[in-house]
Amino acid sequence: MSTDVEDLLREGMERFTADLRAPAGLTCQIARRRRRRRLALCSLTGAAAALTAGAVALAVVVVPSRQRTGVELTADVVTRVSSALTAADPGDIAQMSVTTSSASPYGGKTTTTTAEEWSYGDQWRSVTYSSPGHPLYDEGYTASAGSSVYTLVNYSTRSWTKRPGLGRPAAAIPFSTLPTARGCRPAIGAFPLLYKFGLPGMGLPASLLPSTVARSLRTAVSCGTLTVAGRQTVDGVGAIKLTSCAGSPISETIWVSPSTYLPVRVVVRSASGAAGPAWAPGAPAVQQTADITWLPPTAQNLAKLTVPIPAGFRKVSLSAVAAPTFKQISSALLPRPKAFCLMPAANACGNPAFPVGGPPPGSGYR
Amino acid sequence: MAADRSTAGLERFLAERADHLLRTAVLLAGNREAGEDLLQTAVERLLRRWGRIDGDPEGYVRRTLCNLAIDGYRRAGRWRQKERLLRTELRQPQDETGDVDLRDALVPLLVQLPARQRAVLVLRYWEQLTDAEAAAVLGCSEGTVKSSGSRGLARLRELADGWNDTAAMCGRNGKRS
Repeated sequence: MSTDVEDLLREGMERFTADLRAPAGLTCQIARRRRRRRLALCSLTGAAAALTAGAVALAVVVVPSRQRTGVELTADVVTRVSSALTAADPGDIAQMSVTTSSASPYGGKTTTTTAEEWSYGDQWRSVTYSSPGHPLYDEGYTASAGSSVYTLVNYSTRSWTKRPGLGRPAAAIPFSTLPTARGCRPAIGAFPLLYKFGLPGMGLPASLLPSTVARSLRTAVSCGTLTVAGRQTVDGVGAIKLTSCAGSPISETIWVSPSTYLPVRVVVRSASGAAGPAWAPGAPAVQQTADITWLPPTAQNLAKLTVPIPAGFRKVSLSAVAAPTFKQISSALLPRPKAFCLMPAANACGNPAFPVGGPPPGSGYR
Repeated sequence: MAADRSTAGLERFLAERADHLLRTAVLLAGNREAGEDLLQTAVERLLRRWGRIDGDPEGYVRRTLCNLAIDGYRRAGRWRQKERLLRTELRQPQDETGDVDLRDALVPLLVQLPARQRAVLVLRYWEQLTDAEAAAVLGCSEGTVKSSGSRGLARLRELADGWNDTAAMCGRNGKRS
């Protein structure tokens, strides 16, 4: 019995396992197992009472087989969304259609602008349109082979410019700047980091530049200020709705895909009123809606990050093209407010606040 | 294009490779229930690290399965419990010829081997890895893989010879004293 055993073993293994099939819903089984373990941990640490108190009628999403508390459900969804956004940064290109409406606190008509935006790693592009749908200006930041350039095209003046060294988004917020392992620093932005007003590449302070969309959304989601509020249909898909708690100065709602857990729509509203929101007295009430599509970084999709220079447009200096562009931007949308957290304190909505990257190990939410 | 590290990517990976990984887990663990448990634990670890894994996720799961199987053996001596299962299964031969009987009996006999030897045999004869690849999975030297594999096969031959003798004595009907 020399190599016979080896051959027989090989064949035996094939036969022994031939009818084995992995159970359907393997990840769901694992999720249930994790939840059981998590509940055991919570009861050990005395958190069971808090979970019971938080058991509201929001447990309608994801796994209907067992009634779950709102806190538990939110923690689960937030973890998944955070993981998905981590994977998407810079794995996927975020393509957004952004509609911004602003009403002056002192009366007058509401201004609405629309924009198409793309974000991929540090690279971004934004095309702003007039109400009839004509492009007003197109700007973007591209980086390759150690060089980077900011491009701005103004369609009204039929001019364009390029300037190296401008337009780079702010770096990721380092962990060490967080005051506590589970808290959010007040300066971490939720709303204003998502979109920019004006021209972020025009030498504004770095803290005012937009972070990548995926990074900003992850920060917003991880702040612990959102709560799962059931499902709603977005573009034909039953998306999971996450919304900020009542009384926030800024209302924020994010719908995420139930399959990928990536955000598909974000709506942000600032408080209205003559005085404007407390964080920016006199600022207008603003609502922004962004429909987000996540694209794979194919050559065709990456080309969308490049600002095309239309034929016949003149190359001019940065100031020559920037000044008229600033005039086109509705004054209602300037200045762009400084980034901040909706509710700096953890558990503002009764939810755990996770630092960027998800809940900490050993917190019971892994 | 970068590896797909989205949740959808994970679901796709599991849809494509979960059956094969379950078979590996069952061979390492000795029976289906223990194999499923092993695979769930390995996939749970994969879930936690999904966004950060560089390279082949299947390799990560395979390595985790082997480590869990070996550690489980060290911790609880569970293989001894499985010996009883082995005897149960040996009472149910499925074919008339000696070779086919032995072929079916060999895999259950694996549970009598130490975990590392079993892992080496599974990686070599089921996953069809080379000695070097198996060494990388197990985190040991190629020489250790060779010696473990050799010792495992030798032990399997002894067990198989004993099984043949007993089966012959019982008229290959699987009834053992």
